[in-house]
Amino acid sequence: MRLSAARSVWVVRAVGLLGLLVGLLAGIPEGYTPSLAVVAVVLLGGVLGAFRPDHLGVSMTLAVVLVWWAIKLHTQVPAGTLAAAAGLVTAHVAGTLLSYGPRFMPIPAEVVRLWAVRGLLVWLAAPVVWFVARVYADHATPTSYWLAGLTAALMGAVVAAVVVPTRGGD
Amino acid sequence: MSEGPSRWHTTGSLARALAVGGFGVAVALTVGRPAVVVLVGPLVVLASLALLGKPTREPRVLPGLAHVQLYEGQGTRSWLEMSGTEDTEHVTRVLAQEPFVALHPVGGAVLSRTDDVGPIEISPRRWGERRVGTEKVAMTSPWAGYRWGPVQLPGREMFVLPAVTRMRSGGEAPQPIGLIGAHRSRREGGGTEFSSIRAFHSGDRLRRINWRVSLRQGTLHVESTRAEEDTAVLLIVDAMADYGVSEGIDAAQSSLDVTVRAAANIADQYLGGGDRVSLRVLSPGGEYAGYGTGTRHLRRILGLLARIRPGIPRDVSIEQVDFRATAGTVVVVISPMLSPELAIATVRLVRRGLPVIVVDPLPPGSTPTVHPDPAAQVAQLAWRMRLLDRSHLLSQLAAAGCPVVPWNGPRTLEEVLRRLARRSQLPRIGV
Repeated sequence: MRLSAARSVWVVRAVGLLGLLVGLLAGIPEGYTPSLAVVAVVLLGGVLGAFRPDHLGVSMTLAVVLVWWAIKLHTQVPAGTLAAAAGLVTAHVAGTLLSYGPRFMPIPAEVVRLWAVRGLLVWLAAPVVWFVARVYADHATPTSYWLAGLTAALMGAVVAAVVVPTRGGD
Repeated sequence: MSEGPSRWHTTGSLARALAVGGFGVAVALTVGRPAVVVLVGPLVVLASLALLGKPTREPRVLPGLAHVQLYEGQGTRSWLEMSGTEDTEHVTRVLAQEPFVALHPVGGAVLSRTDDVGPIEISPRRWGERRVGTEKVAMTSPWAGYRWGPVQLPGREMFVLPAVTRMRSGGEAPQPIGLIGAHRSRREGGGTEFSSIRAFHSGDRLRRINWRVSLRQGTLHVESTRAEEDTAVLLIVDAMADYGVSEGIDAAQSSLDVTVRAAANIADQYLGGGDRVSLRVLSPGGEYAGYGTGTRHLRRILGLLARIRPGIPRDVSIEQVDFRATAGTVVVVISPMLSPELAIATVRLVRRGLPVIVVDPLPPGSTPTVHPDPAAQVAQLAWRMRLLDRSHLLSQLAAAGCPVVPWNGPRTLEEVLRRLARRSQLPRIGV
């Protein structure tokens, strides 16, 4: 017997897709409009994420959004990035909720509430970074700062790779 | 359930947060785009929190089932006994979908917190052997960074007994020959039903004396009553084939569903009235229960009915089956009468002077299951011919003195048995 998806699953799918589109289109009010091709790619990635939340294509779609923002912006940090960050967090949280179980399993409201609060809390990192970036926007950043940041990021990646076990390992 | 290598592994959610967050930071730092850090900052925080929640111990889970024997339509609960779940946050349970087993919530999938795992309700919808409780369990760490499982937990075999409608009226036995029971006998004895008024004999009880008649006649007269005896009931269940669609209790029934439920109800009624009941199933398993009484015997009969698998009996032809029906035994044959051999055996029982009733379990409009192929029309034609043969057989049975009734619930046999009892009390002329 093939069971259809629960209503809550459809809602979370729709919210995830919407979040991804918001992540791309949040800059429109400030004049950052993506081409239709990019919108189509992201839309397809959103649909894929709605049905296969753990698929590699979902991560790649998020990367496409990041690359598009990186191309459009140079040193500017518009307010639209805050909305875009909220959209990306929403898409990620929706994917997390969808990957808890099969599609016919209803997602309890309690779990949705928990992740909504978590999403909101982690999103607060975006305004903090945005504020710091705005404060230092007019200051010339020494190259050593960027190199130090890159080194820290690489070290973080190495630590993460050590901490995170591979599938079936330990 | 958790010995051996760890079953914890990273979730797709953590992998995505790490990959996208790391990629964003790398892009931001290499090409100098602070806005990208704003975009991926929340994902980096989320991934960090998920990494911090890495579990250090293996949980242990054991499935539990409240009942292992149920009547169809009844329900039970499946739960999990868990330990070592301090590092876990959520549990996902997904029960396997078995035929004729209803689950609540629908689909049998539940996501709940580890400290509040609710049971899943299971209700078998059809008699027979069912495997219930097979499930997959997965657990996730806080912030969904790691997942344990899914681990498959085995289910349990459950014998689902046919549903019985409790009704204490099995109908009057036409020729009860037994000990103390509830059926009116043809011979006189210490019952309650009036039979006649006759002259006093030595041994008659004084309280039976009818004084009005005695004064009028001048000699003592007593009121005699009929004896009350139990009877033997033989249930012959035809499980040689199953016709029609079965959708479980309270839905469409196949011929075998009707057969099994009818047999269960008749056995329950007669055993509840103190009678002796025997069961003979015509199937490959050849299930048989000798004459017995009481609740335990009823459980045995229901258990045998639940084990039935349709098919032609092995190693023995129906003509050779010894039905072990002694004089006075009420024989109930539950069969769609699509087997001429069984019809002949039934007529033989009728000719022995036994009260025989055929209960027809074939649901109207039912057809045998045939594979859809170009020969489907031929199969339909063959089925129509079988039905014509069947109607001819049924009319021949009726002509031989064997009533044929469709199963209409627990009161089906009452009227037929009453008629048979009336017939058996009529005076007979010996030839």
